[in-house]
Amino acid sequence: MKNLLYKEFKLATHPTTYLFLSLGLMLLIPSYPGYVGFFYVSLSIFFIFLSGRENRDVFFTVSLPIRKTDAVKARCSMIAIIEMAQILVAIPFAIIGNASRTGENLAGIESNVAFFGFVFMIFSVYNIVFIPMFYKTTYKIGIPFLFGGIAFGLFYILVEMLVWIPSPIKSFLDTLDPTIMVQQLPILIIGIVIWFFTWIITYKKAASNFEKVDI
Amino acid sequence: MEILSVVDLCKSYEKFDLKNVSFTLEQGYIMGFIGRNGAGKTTTLKSIMRLVHPKSGKVTILGKDFAENEFYCKQKIGFVLGGVDYYPKKKLKIITDVTKRFFPEWDDEKHLSLLKRFDLDPEKRIDELSAGMRVKYSLALALSHNAQLLILDEPTSGLDPVSRDDLLCLFQDLIEDGEHSILFSTHITSDLEKCADYITYIKDGEIIASTEKDLFLDEYRLVQGPIDKLTSELTEKLIGVRKHKFGFEALIRTRYLPVAEGIEVESADLEAIMVHIERG
Repeated sequence: MKNLLYKEFKLATHPTTYLFLSLGLMLLIPSYPGYVGFFYVSLSIFFIFLSGRENRDVFFTVSLPIRKTDAVKARCSMIAIIEMAQILVAIPFAIIGNASRTGENLAGIESNVAFFGFVFMIFSVYNIVFIPMFYKTTYKIGIPFLFGGIAFGLFYILVEMLVWIPSPIKSFLDTLDPTIMVQQLPILIIGIVIWFFTWIITYKKAASNFEKVDI
Repeated sequence: MEILSVVDLCKSYEKFDLKNVSFTLEQGYIMGFIGRNGAGKTTTLKSIMRLVHPKSGKVTILGKDFAENEFYCKQKIGFVLGGVDYYPKKKLKIITDVTKRFFPEWDDEKHLSLLKRFDLDPEKRIDELSAGMRVKYSLALALSHNAQLLILDEPTSGLDPVSRDDLLCLFQDLIEDGEHSILFSTHITSDLEKCADYITYIKDGEIIASTEKDLFLDEYRLVQGPIDKLTSELTEKLIGVRKHKFGFEALIRTRYLPVAEGIEVESADLEAIMVHIERG
């Protein structure tokens, strides 16, 4: 697995993977929908698969003395690392952005603890739709990305809607009050747990799809 | 010792079936795998490597079942479809650096000496290599991890005659130690005349011959004669009859000889055999 991960980062990563990590900076933009910066992660993941197809990555990988399921596990692990990295990079910018702003974020949820919980959930939805669908063929990438993007978008709208309508939920979610942010911790934890378990389901489903593919 | 054994390999596609493909290859020999385009050569090779899923059949490498010992078997095989064509914008040294990690028996010194022997610059990108050099680089990778069986799918296709000859000489050098074996598919029959010890012939997904090259060649003769000698009795014995204004030309199994007087009989090369068999 270590060797496969080395291969993923040495050969398969696309330059945008690193470039888009810097888009955590978007959390510094005043009154801007915070989830947008994270959409670019899904785009960089799409580019990894796209450049993999153009570089015949699947053929190269399965020619090596490995199990096909390990190839999928390595790719899913790389994606998990990228998503984690994106969140870790974004957190300091969220803190700086929140500290430097005077008014509230008029374009959506504040970059608070619940926000990062929802980001984990959005990544979960995207992963579970896009990755197994790609491994059904290993050459059709546009359609899985379209469906993954739609899933991402719908979930994004759903979680943003929670703070559009004035309600106790909005007051609880759309705030930078430190006391309430502590109370939001369960949302973050649930987000991480969902992300972790959907990662396992995603990997297992993708590996099972890939096992059936003739290369 | 048997380095490769393929038994009753079957694979079904919507419009094509691989039917009970069976053949064996001994250590220290070169086997040419011939057949026209679409006959099932690549599907067979991919099925051996389990890149496609055979419906049934068994593949054994050095006595070990491939399905049960995939890791061991892949260590012992260098598999090349054409030449290296993955990650064309990466330098050779990067591909080598990644590849070698997967092979416990990787030998750095051997790899460097192979690069030198093949005149390959590790600083070059894959897409800067000619087709022949790409095949050589894939051989350098395979031999550096001590692959004993090289499975090459049309390695000579697209090469100029000099590069082709160069590569075929290299094949012969490689098997001299008696440990390495090469199975390579091609439809360029002259390649096989030069270096193959065995021939396995596939037609429409079925193996129609798998034997020593000389025996295979000896099994057929070319016959030609005037059209009036082409009796119905003779026609039944002929393969791929071609009539022209001066008479006819066809292939015949040696066991049907001699035929009628006035018919010229001569030895057949692989190309003639293939053309007549495919003509049917």
